[in-house]
Amino acid sequence: MIHSFIALLPDKCTSCMLCVRECPAWCIHLDSHTEEVTEPGARRPKKINVLDSFDIDYSLCMYCGICVDVCPFDALEWDQHRALISDSRVDLTLGITQLTSEKDSAN
Amino acid sequence: MARYQLAEHPHCEVEVLTAGLACCTLEVEAAVTAGLLIPAQLGNQASTPPSVLVISGTVTDALLPSVLDVIDRYPDAQLMSFGACATSGGPYWDSPPVTKGIDQFSDVAVYVAGCPPRPEAFVAALLSLAQAGISS
Amino acid sequence: MMNVSVTETVSPEKWRERVLQAHDHGFVFFDFLTAIDRDSGVEVVVRLAFNDLSESISLSTSINHASLRLDSIADIFPGAGWHEREVGEMFGMNFVGNDMQQLLRHEALGLPPMRKNVVLSARVVAEWPGAAEPEIKQDGRKVGNPSRRRQRPPGVPENWLQS
Ligand code: SF4
Ligand code: SF4
Ligand code: SF4
Repeated sequence: MIHSFIALLPDKCTSCMLCVRECPAWCIHLDSHTEEVTEPGARRPKKINVLDSFDIDYSLCMYCGICVDVCPFDALEWDQHRALISDSRVDLTLGITQLTSEKDSAN
Repeated sequence: MARYQLAEHPHCEVEVLTAGLACCTLEVEAAVTAGLLIPAQLGNQASTPPSVLVISGTVTDALLPSVLDVIDRYPDAQLMSFGACATSGGPYWDSPPVTKGIDQFSDVAVYVAGCPPRPEAFVAALLSLAQAGISS
Repeated sequence: MMNVSVTETVSPEKWRERVLQAHDHGFVFFDFLTAIDRDSGVEVVVRLAFNDLSESISLSTSINHASLRLDSIADIFPGAGWHEREVGEMFGMNFVGNDMQQLLRHEALGLPPMRKNVVLSARVVAEWPGAAEPEIKQDGRKVGNPSRRRQRPPGVPENWLQS
């Protein structure tokens, strides 16, 4: 497979921050918050992290794949993708929807 | 300098600065070897200035004046920032001698993400310029 | 095939002498010379081998940051000359007896770039995205009761951020 894109599977991401901290280009940005959920039968509510935003700045990314490797939950994966080109550098930063939906439209 | 045109869109010509700045330059060459680019027809080479200048590879502060020199020589040419290095410094974003983005010095018409971007991305970027009606 | 491999630490004063000794013992193949910047000083390492590569030896010596001088071994191994100049340029070492003209580096750059006290200003100025936590926003705003203390980015010594 051509390693030309890193796709996010947001449902698997636990906001553990590992990828963000290991990225040598510092190009992943993530915001999250915690929520309490009470599961049926559980005695106490438990805290879970909820992902608010997840951005990869592809103008900086060096496609080293470290983020894919370190993610303990396989929430990031290599993907094929059409060329990422833009007339504005800011547009090369992709958020959750682009990181996932672009994956589906990959060719 | 060498002049090429897109194999499938001969009206789209590129000027390639053959002094390779870094690894990205190889992808431009790969586009040539893959037949995506072919040498421009002789005849109209010298008469028309290039419409696109490709900055591919790592620009260092030491080399910057020479790069800007070339850019200044073709004021009408559109600039393509090819690869992470040219756009932001890329893997060398924290290295003191590296210029963090050619766009600090000259307007960039199209940015191509990748380290390096694939040759197809190079062609796609040229086409996007052509389709925007900017390229002649 | 490297069969036998020995590592040995020598004092800077004995450096040249020991390398010559090794050479005369049969370690006539110069593999490489490099350096590592450590808290205690710059450690210079040379790796030599027998011509048939059946045995190899790594010699290392540690030079105090205050006087980064070491005798050159380029007259014993001419190939080491280039490596010494590279180490000189990157770590600020002075190999006495070798031509220490700069090879690659731009003079305006100041400190030798491979030394750990060289501050990469980009890493100090840029906000490290890894400092965020589930309850700390990227701009440092707390939105809950974060339990862990703020982390430091990898490759950035503690005193960098304060300076
Ligand atoms: S591939 Fe490397 S540079 Fe790109 S986001 Fe992942 S860790 Fe960062
Ligand atoms: S390492 Fe995986 S789970 Fe953790 S924040 Fe990154 S993508 Fe999410
Ligand atoms: S973007 Fe990557 S491939 Fe291109 S010049 Fe920089 S380091 Fe090399």
